[in-house]
Amino acid sequence: MLQIDNISKDMGEFVLRNVTLDIDRGEYLVIIGPTGAGKTILLETIAGIYPPDSGTITLDGRDITGLPPRERNICVVYQDYMLFTHLSVEENIGFGLVSRKMNKDEIRKRVVEAAELLSIDHLLHRSPDTLSGGEQQRTAIARAIVMDPVLLLLDEPLSALDGQTRVMLQKELRRLHKRYRITVVHVTHNFEEVFALADRVAVMHDGDIVQCGHPDEVFRKPASEFVANFTGVENIFRGTCTPQDGASAITADGLRIISATCNGEGEVYATVRPEDILISREPVTSSARNSFQGTITDIVNNGMVIKVTVDAGIPLVSVLTRQGYDHLQLKEGEEVYLTFKASAVHVF
Amino acid sequence: MKDFRNSWLKYATIGIGVLLAAFIVILLTLIVTRPTLEALITSITSNEIQFAITLSLLTSLTSTFFCIIIGVPAAYALARYSFRGKNVVNALLDMPLALPPLVAGLGLLLFFGTTSFGRGLADIGLVFVFTPLGIIAAQFFVNIPFMIRIMRSTFESISPRYEYVAKTLGCTDAQALWRVTLPMSATGFFAGSVITWAKGIGEFGAALLLAGAIKWKTETLPIALFLNMSCGNLNMAISAATILIIISLAALYIFERYGGASRF
Repeated sequence: MLQIDNISKDMGEFVLRNVTLDIDRGEYLVIIGPTGAGKTILLETIAGIYPPDSGTITLDGRDITGLPPRERNICVVYQDYMLFTHLSVEENIGFGLVSRKMNKDEIRKRVVEAAELLSIDHLLHRSPDTLSGGEQQRTAIARAIVMDPVLLLLDEPLSALDGQTRVMLQKELRRLHKRYRITVVHVTHNFEEVFALADRVAVMHDGDIVQCGHPDEVFRKPASEFVANFTGVENIFRGTCTPQDGASAITADGLRIISATCNGEGEVYATVRPEDILISREPVTSSARNSFQGTITDIVNNGMVIKVTVDAGIPLVSVLTRQGYDHLQLKEGEEVYLTFKASAVHVF
Repeated sequence: MKDFRNSWLKYATIGIGVLLAAFIVILLTLIVTRPTLEALITSITSNEIQFAITLSLLTSLTSTFFCIIIGVPAAYALARYSFRGKNVVNALLDMPLALPPLVAGLGLLLFFGTTSFGRGLADIGLVFVFTPLGIIAAQFFVNIPFMIRIMRSTFESISPRYEYVAKTLGCTDAQALWRVTLPMSATGFFAGSVITWAKGIGEFGAALLLAGAIKWKTETLPIALFLNMSCGNLNMAISAATILIIISLAALYIFERYGGASRF
């Protein structure tokens, strides 16, 4: 739907270097990268705030590179809300509809609808600076979606919020996207948001997109050392979650992994920390619900700890101390058993 | 005693501040209590002082208006855009602040009195030399830096992202400025206007050189104070001073109350 082709922009402090990216209709794309990677200028260039130095942006086959923001119908939500403090919540949400010269009753109707969707309809008469952070961000999101944008750009929308509010709003974003199939590009530096929201993830580094794909693919098969170091998450897998005996079973590539933290059903991402996985030569009888047999494919000695990769249907990494490793005398190609508790399986 | 020895610096510096404040109160009280209340009221209601009040209000409001329509766009450009020579322009726009008003007045007198541009203006009826128009020009020139500085820092304190959001919501550049940035800078705008107006009312040096001190013609409150003082008419001079003091107090209060965030 939106094609970004070879976009470059030099803003001095921040740069974009030949960024090429395709965004499909209805998808939720998360762009992740360290501070200063150029994530925000990429969003602002898509929105039309700055003209790119070179390259083109095409929306539904139409070249919009030189189009001013108001003719694109692409809306932005920033980390620090950017609510107009001289207007009420209602006037903020209706701001764009006023630009469209819609009549007052119609504006009122749509504003109330959008506010109800975000559960802020009881706050319409308030001034933005009397709202909590979460309420302000809901207002900013309502102000954008009331425009029925072809593309919604979110610039670290959850970063300024406290833990609980963040989780709530994250769920809200997922719900909104599922229900209305809005096309979203969401910029963040938080991995949890990738697993919770993304259909696809793009990793940005130094003004360029270095890898783009399904989250499990990017995290499991980093294409470069930068992506590997930056993502740095081991034992990530994607599977279908089904309830089982008071816990849940996640089926990933034929492997059934029991998790105590999974609630709900459907496609999920899950991780297990390498230090939570016990490695043994014989099956272990214990209260741990997960036990698998596999073949050692790789042993990496980091000096302090030894990283052992075992193929048990999906690759799982375990770390051992030097003493433990010496004691077991493991070699590549050998059969071993992996054991970990259901509570060690963290689901996003 | 031990406490005093440990914090002598605190008490000494506080003492200096309080003494200075007391000195200012003494000066102001001396002025307003010099004549009897009756004499003060008689002077204030006299035709000459009434004329001076009216002229001061008219000239200061007009010059403030021009400071707004010239100063606000200039301040916006300096806050939002980067361009070649911006630093030089910034420094030059602050120049009238540092310049003695008499020197500014001399420059204005030469500009309006001796250049062909000034003579051209006079030919179409805009005579600035020794007229109330000259007072407005003098007030404008001396006070525009206040307006620009306050508005520049006000605009700088408003993130340009508010305008970005407005533009994605259907605004042109000018609409984003009009519907978002200007309303959001209302307190700075109000404070800047009040300070510019109050400075305009008190403007003397530049106005004296360009517009002269002509009784019943270019006699603003400060000029009335000066003229009456020169001929020993103390009560009239003090009544003009009293009105200037009241205006200053009101302006200071408004500025502190609403313009606290503006640096200049």
